[in-house]
Amino acid sequence: MRYVDEYRDAELGRAAAAEVLAVVQPGRRYKLMEVCGGHTHSIYKYGIEDLLPENVELVHGPGCPVCVIPMGRVDDAIAIARRPEVIFTCFGDMLRVPGSQGTLLDAKAQGADVRMVYSPLDALRVAAENPTRDVVFLAVGFETTAPSTALTLRRARAEGVENFFCVCNHVTIVPPLRALLESPDLRLDGFVGPGHVCTVVGARPFEFIPAQYGRPVVISGFEPLDVLQSVLMLLRQISEGRVEVENQYSRVVPRDGNPLALQAMAEVFELRAHFEWRGLGFISQSALKLGADYADFDAELRYEVPGVRVADPKACQCGEVLKGVIKPWQCKVFGSACTPEHAIGTCMVSPEGACAAYYNYGRFAREKELV
Amino acid sequence: VLTVAALDGDGVAICETPGGAPETVDVSLIEPPRVGDRVLVHAGVALAHLGDRAGR
Repeated sequence: MRYVDEYRDAELGRAAAAEVLAVVQPGRRYKLMEVCGGHTHSIYKYGIEDLLPENVELVHGPGCPVCVIPMGRVDDAIAIARRPEVIFTCFGDMLRVPGSQGTLLDAKAQGADVRMVYSPLDALRVAAENPTRDVVFLAVGFETTAPSTALTLRRARAEGVENFFCVCNHVTIVPPLRALLESPDLRLDGFVGPGHVCTVVGARPFEFIPAQYGRPVVISGFEPLDVLQSVLMLLRQISEGRVEVENQYSRVVPRDGNPLALQAMAEVFELRAHFEWRGLGFISQSALKLGADYADFDAELRYEVPGVRVADPKACQCGEVLKGVIKPWQCKVFGSACTPEHAIGTCMVSPEGACAAYYNYGRFAREKELV
Repeated sequence: VLTVAALDGDGVAICETPGGAPETVDVSLIEPPRVGDRVLVHAGVALAHLGDRAGR
């Protein structure tokens, strides 16, 4: 299949790995962060780390939207879902994200009307089919997903839908990256940039990384050769003393992103002053809420929610995993108390979560043997 | 990446997944596609137009 098969060619992969080997300086360590959970998934699925020299380390970043949702926000969602007049809709992986008193799936088992949808437009259809009920959509995701929510709310308004509401947890990728770059306990040499976010926002929002922090960025696709080539491009920049934003994913990502998507987002959303990120704490202007023109659709204004900050379970180290400080298998509960079937932390829930990727693709066993 | 199978008007297309299943997609955020074009879809919305089957 075009755009897929040619980026999974094993021979080309071996050639790219040989080029990586030729570029790295022996004796120097390189720590590169793959920002997006989709990259983490590809890296573990295809064993990309196995093709890299020992002194090139990939660490995962905060780009899994489900993983960064704090427990307090899950509690708020469950409080709304338990209301008898509400049909609560969300993406499948959000069903299993733990709050302090269980998950949305637990709430469903206890009688709440919680339904999985594939898109916010599906949730809007549920609202049209159930005019006597309130239908609430739990919106999560980075700038990749936010346009879909924005279009849905535009359509709800255009169609005069009055029983559709949204709990907005959309987040933006640049503020947490800046927070990571300011962090004293993490030294990074470069970033594998989030290809799909850049489809919407373009390359420009990442130019502060080379300009202010002297680190290279390569916007990357998600097939194994995309990731390998992006790592090679980062290492070449470092080797040649360059720091800039390069676009490996040019077959999809235009420099200025998708102007119509940005316009839809600007019409519907505004920045929150602060938002809590799991593991990263509160970050200013890092999330979206519905703007004043769409306040009638805002579930947080319609219903009372606890709105309480809840600390993560002590055993869970998702925060350190999300910052790239530890590898998933270094968490105390990884693979024992915390598994995809019985997750304690969010990183084990979402398919894009680093812990779930590590666990599902068998990297767990190999790494444990190395300890 | 999905393939546009039919245009439904009003910014909506019926697309085909790699497995052959139909999926309704909002294509209002991209240049109007034609049947046979490939589009990058996320959460029911096409975010990028990838050209036709031949990559044009």
